[in-house]
Amino acid sequence: MSFNAVELKNVTKRYNEIVAVDHVNLTIGSGEIFGLLGPNGSGKSTTLKMLMGLVQPDEGSVTVLGLSVGKDPVALKRMVGYVPEAPRLYEFLTGVEYLDFIGDVFGMQPEDKKNRIDEYLKALQLEGREGDMINSYSEGMKQKIALISAFLHRPKLLIMDEPLNALDPRSARIVKDFLQELKRQGITTILSTHVLEIAQAMCDRIGIMYQGKLLALGNMNELRQLAKLPNSGLEDVFLKLTGTGDTRPVVEELLK
Amino acid sequence: MNWKNVAFLVGVERKSGRLIRGQVLTHYRESKIGAYLFYLIALVIGLVVGFLVGNFYVTGVISGDPALATTLQPLVNSVLFSLPTLVLIYSLVFTMLSQIQRSGIKTTSQVPYWLPITWQEHTLASILANMMGFPLISIVGIATGVIVFASFAGFIVPAVLASLAMIAAALMASATTEIFRILQVRFLGAVYRSTGRAAIWVRFAGSLIFFLLFYIAYFSIIYGSGAMTFIQTIATTQNAAWFVPFVWLGIMLYNFTSGTLLLGLVFMALSLLFIVGLFYLGVWLNTRFGLYEPPAITVTRGAYTPKVGLLGRLGFSSTEAALVRKDLKAFTRRRELMTIFIGPIVIVLVPLMQSLGAAGQASSTSFNLLWLGLTFLLPASIMAMSLGSLIIGEEGRAVWRIYAAPFSARSFVKSKFFLVVLFALIVLVITGTAGAFLYRMSIQTFLWATFEAIFLAFALSAVSLSNGIKGADFNEVPRPRMIRVEWSIINLIACFLSGAAILAPLIPYVLSSFIPNMTSLDPLVYTAISGVIAVAITLVFYRICISNAKELLSKAED
Repeated sequence: MSFNAVELKNVTKRYNEIVAVDHVNLTIGSGEIFGLLGPNGSGKSTTLKMLMGLVQPDEGSVTVLGLSVGKDPVALKRMVGYVPEAPRLYEFLTGVEYLDFIGDVFGMQPEDKKNRIDEYLKALQLEGREGDMINSYSEGMKQKIALISAFLHRPKLLIMDEPLNALDPRSARIVKDFLQELKRQGITTILSTHVLEIAQAMCDRIGIMYQGKLLALGNMNELRQLAKLPNSGLEDVFLKLTGTGDTRPVVEELLK
Repeated sequence: MNWKNVAFLVGVERKSGRLIRGQVLTHYRESKIGAYLFYLIALVIGLVVGFLVGNFYVTGVISGDPALATTLQPLVNSVLFSLPTLVLIYSLVFTMLSQIQRSGIKTTSQVPYWLPITWQEHTLASILANMMGFPLISIVGIATGVIVFASFAGFIVPAVLASLAMIAAALMASATTEIFRILQVRFLGAVYRSTGRAAIWVRFAGSLIFFLLFYIAYFSIIYGSGAMTFIQTIATTQNAAWFVPFVWLGIMLYNFTSGTLLLGLVFMALSLLFIVGLFYLGVWLNTRFGLYEPPAITVTRGAYTPKVGLLGRLGFSSTEAALVRKDLKAFTRRRELMTIFIGPIVIVLVPLMQSLGAAGQASSTSFNLLWLGLTFLLPASIMAMSLGSLIIGEEGRAVWRIYAAPFSARSFVKSKFFLVVLFALIVLVITGTAGAFLYRMSIQTFLWATFEAIFLAFALSAVSLSNGIKGADFNEVPRPRMIRVEWSIINLIACFLSGAAILAPLIPYVLSSFIPNMTSLDPLVYTAISGVIAVAITLVFYRICISNAKELLSKAED
């Protein structure tokens, strides 16, 4: 790894009295696939939005691809592909019009843009529906368009919030394999997910957030050691570290 | 029928209405005072107006000349008979417009699909919720006024009957709107399927024609003939149109007050049956088509080929051109945005229709100036003012795409400003050409009117865009608002003041047209001064636009 793709130094974000992100320090290396896990409301999406410059930190500093976020946001956004948690697309455009728009926004050359759009549409099985307006697409198809729009301009960094949401198994597999291929090309991926199997299988390192704090950080083995569960999977490690493991009383209460 | 379900559904719709008006609601339960404040205001206005008019009628009119009471009685009666039909017409217009504005949101009709709610409950709640708000508030005001006035004039029973008939009329209108809503979704779906690729243009042209006809008919009826003439026309023609169920309530009132009680009861029963019939028709249509999803519109087929556009040659970067093209598509494909085109066209068409007969001999100065304003200055100004204020908020929740894309504040403003000016100038070309052809004018007049309109288009585009960025509202549920109410008002005032400043140099020329001895310079001289003011306003507000855009893009989702 030649340089750090992302550096968060003592970053805090508050929404009134709620501390969404609480003094987080995090460094992600170039070419790494990094997974951000945590229960609902733990601060994952806010952290990802701060990396994109969509949300400003109240304290601390955020550096992405060597640029301080907020100093030159246009230059930074050119190098980043982003998929939010629930991507709302322009539903009055067709799939191919949307991607054409994205290609132009990122200044792609027409021939390059055409080739990539055709390739991605084919790979994610959207061929034949690309000329339909997006408002008629299923959630999975919309997610595919959002993913393609993040990959299209070959960014140096991918920031993706729940990227495999609503995808069919084949498309999910293609995206996972594609991200591994991008990693080999030195492209960094930061993703948040609730599907722990995906994180375990894909990510080089995992950060676990809980109540705005970065509770644990490391690869699978390091996390197992932290949780003192040497032979366990990520689910057990996650539940132990977040202190949410003892679910039996809750289930029993629900059954009453 | 579970009435609790109906009440809950009506409550949800009412709350969505309050959200539209921009009220910040943090709890589901509504403040009773807030919810019923407008009804209370209407009630007080009705009481005060009814008391003042009634008092004047008794002490100022009748006491002076008692015979006047007999003379005025037919007029009072005609107002009374026409009230239900009047309420029906404006309730129809209001409820249909509010449904059209919500047409982009399809979630409300899906409720029975996943909640244990019957179509009867859903339909009734939808009808009642439609009726609440402006139709019911105005009925409260009118009914109170009429009853208080009647207590002075001595016809309290007919007044109470008229009030009940007004509520029934609003119910009739709301049920009709519900039926219309379901049918238009179903009908348009069938049209889109049969027209294939042309569906977008069919929808665009169809929506424009529908809105145009709707507004023209509405304005022509309401303002064209004058309110009293209109009321008298209703009162005299509704008996002849007895076969139209929508006027049965008015006929019922006529018969009750004329002493033909049996016929009055027949029309009352028929009216109630008609309302019940409309309700069950709505239930049936909802059951059949309530969950109907319009088919996908296929816009392009075959291999995708990137287009090299004209915008690139005009000096736009690919990023800027992409945003312009995207917005052009939005304004031709999103039905809720199409209404923006209607305002300027209606402003010209309605007076045009009314004045066509006078076009040949129209030569009075005031008429010509009015016509110049209507065809040259007003349409382009209104387009610039409304489009500029809405073009940022129209991004809706997809605005994250703008935040996450490499748009600088300058390129963002350049694209949006270009589109607003473009639309304003297109409107100017259409309405100005119509005006120039229909009302022959000198080259000099044509020139100064055109230049003034262009100045207004540029300046008001910059003013409204600056407000549109600052007051952008990206909420889309229950309908896209696009600009916050307070900024909409600020925009109106700012545009009015800017427009007045630009047109002010023309005052000597306009006055000289009316005052024979007053001399004036060539109007093109005044136009040149207007131009300088317009350039200054445009530049200042363009800078404000950029500053506001910087703030918008940097704060993003903060």
